[in-house]
Amino acid sequence: MELNRRQILKYAGLGLALPAASPLLSACSSDKSGGSGDGSVKFEGWDYEAALVQQNLDNFTKTSNIKVDYTPITSAQYVQKIVAEFTGGGGPDALYVYDDSLAGWVEGDYLQPLDGLPGVDEVYNAIYPGNASAMTYQGKRYGLPYYTDSNCLTYNADILAKAGITKPPASLEELEAQAVKIKNAGLLKYPIGVPAQLSDTWWSWVWALVFGSGGNMFDDQQAPIMNTTDTVVKDVFAWLQQAANKSKVIDPACLQLLAVPIDNAMKANRYAYTIGARYASRDYNDATKSKAAGKIRMALIPSLDGQVHGTVSNTRLYALAKDTEVKDNAFKLLTYLGGLDANKQPYTAKFWFLQRGLGFAYRSMATDPEITASLKKFADPAIYAHLGEIAKPRNVLGVPWYTEFETEMHKVVQGVLSNQTQPSAAVASLAQSAATLKKKYS
Amino acid sequence: MAVQAERRPLGDNAKAWALNAPAMIVIALLIAYPIAYSFWVSLQRNNLKRPRANKFIGLDNYQALLSDQAFLSALKVSAVFVLVVLGLTVVLALILALVLNERFRGRGLLLSLALLPWAMPGVVNGLMWRTIFDAKTGALNGLLTQLGLIDDYHAWLTSGTGAFLFTALAQVWNTLPFSVIILLAGLSTIPSELYDAATVDRAGAVQRFVQVTLPWLLHPLLIVLILETMNAFRAFDTIYVLTGGGPGDATTTIALLDVQTVLTFTDFGLGSAYAWVITAITLLISVGYIGLLYRKGNFEV
Repeated sequence: MELNRRQILKYAGLGLALPAASPLLSACSSDKSGGSGDGSVKFEGWDYEAALVQQNLDNFTKTSNIKVDYTPITSAQYVQKIVAEFTGGGGPDALYVYDDSLAGWVEGDYLQPLDGLPGVDEVYNAIYPGNASAMTYQGKRYGLPYYTDSNCLTYNADILAKAGITKPPASLEELEAQAVKIKNAGLLKYPIGVPAQLSDTWWSWVWALVFGSGGNMFDDQQAPIMNTTDTVVKDVFAWLQQAANKSKVIDPACLQLLAVPIDNAMKANRYAYTIGARYASRDYNDATKSKAAGKIRMALIPSLDGQVHGTVSNTRLYALAKDTEVKDNAFKLLTYLGGLDANKQPYTAKFWFLQRGLGFAYRSMATDPEITASLKKFADPAIYAHLGEIAKPRNVLGVPWYTEFETEMHKVVQGVLSNQTQPSAAVASLAQSAATLKKKYS
Repeated sequence: MAVQAERRPLGDNAKAWALNAPAMIVIALLIAYPIAYSFWVSLQRNNLKRPRANKFIGLDNYQALLSDQAFLSALKVSAVFVLVVLGLTVVLALILALVLNERFRGRGLLLSLALLPWAMPGVVNGLMWRTIFDAKTGALNGLLTQLGLIDDYHAWLTSGTGAFLFTALAQVWNTLPFSVIILLAGLSTIPSELYDAATVDRAGAVQRFVQVTLPWLLHPLLIVLILETMNAFRAFDTIYVLTGGGPGDATTTIALLDVQTVLTFTDFGLGSAYAWVITAITLLISVGYIGLLYRKGNFEV
């Protein structure tokens, strides 16, 4: 029998084993679930707005009388730390989960499905299908939505106006032409910026460009199609290469830039266009943080033909640990955070949108007057809602080798942007990587 | 009155074991056990994402490396990185040590300044060079522009060759002082009579360096070569901060790939195999150095 730390602590406490080590192990353990006997819930998440999270949890404790022991973990190491905790047997009772991590964490026996629990069906009926799909693995539902977002083209209307451009581009060709116009007008040397430094996070803008033109990298069976039946990926790569190396409208420094420097450049009027999450527009248009406040607009992702439009979405969810000893309380917390309240309103989802503009999975919120009034301050509600409707999640999230593939894709795209890899070689390399990974994990 | 049995004193061997036991236990627990365990893990399919698929697979992880393109590419990058870093380090350290071995005004200050980079952690070193090489606000761009050598700011780390060379430079800057200290210590042990005798024999500066200095520096050089090879082969923090391994695979060394495999992909089996290959290669190179240089050194003083 394999012992984990929780079991060792239990036995030690019962005096069956390790009596001398018990105080030491107890002191080392951060596992409080059930241990204190007061039903408190150990809750962990990445450290985005930890003070606001705590404020919301305090409200939950006040209304439910359930104590929550909340630990924010630095985003950069969230996945690694959670994996380490669960491997060591001391994971939380409830936690944030990235849609990218869901499959691996279910396979790792960290999470339990929520099917059959009260209110779950209702939540899944009320959210966008893309979000429901992202929280479902092998037919079972594993989460309630924390926030979601889809990618859009973000542009600086003031810079466009100075170059005599009156509307955002619908096609990639048009985007390039507009950027060249801005460049030739001497307004910006490189009008387009995207975060293209290697990192552990996904490059949403690449997926957005591919989905934006109706393409995909994988079919529904997660077989790579970017090198065979789907030509969009190759054409998008060809456009990227041209825009970076021929017309030189994509900043070459992007290969050294993560998301935050790109955000800062947008806020400093140093880029006219970027592709990223919708919620970033709230920050870009915040006069206390941005010189570009009031000038930033969002548009649909430009496509190859300018007719088809699509985008990619991501979902962050609240999930329940498989071995929690306070399941009822933990699920009550999950419902408070990601579900519907007594008035059938998504209380916390609304809280986050109003506080920080985080995207919502609930369809009803798109027409909520309070939401639209707040949304109008930084975006066009119609475009915002349209992006939510057409967004779809990556269909390859359910495979255990997704992280490896995403990492490989970053390198390939860097090769394309720096003119070291031709688009045809890039898609061939991606297909080969996917096939190798599939074989490795089979 | 009961006679208390006389306690026999511990023998020397027993005393030695007793005195060393605490340290040996700590070393066994903190060093030997993790090393042995990592080898055991390298013989398994062990990915935290798929705990049910864990099993003993013998040498399969090692065998897979032969056809693992990521590994072979990283190995190649590491090999070239070691060559470039080692070459630059040895040459620059030797020059700097020879300069600092002379008596001149301000030598103490120069010595202190030369040692400063050694005190800098790798991550901080990476962040500093990243700021210097920055495409928008970097000091290097500012300097070259002011000198009139470039018209526009450049993104130095965006081409494969540029990123590789600048990363190697940052690594050399960080590790150079240590080599200087070792070589300087070696230079201070050379008897001045040897130089006097060589001068009497009308040996020029180059001859004195080749015939006197270099043979006496073989042992310090051996230490520098071994340690700097290990450092360059295991280089991670500076590269991770500076380029993250990019662009493409241009700066993805085997150490970087190893950390990514273990921490990002949670593949502990394959990651442990990578680590053991790094260890084996470093060991082989070190043995090679010793074989080549050790016997050639001058032991007699």
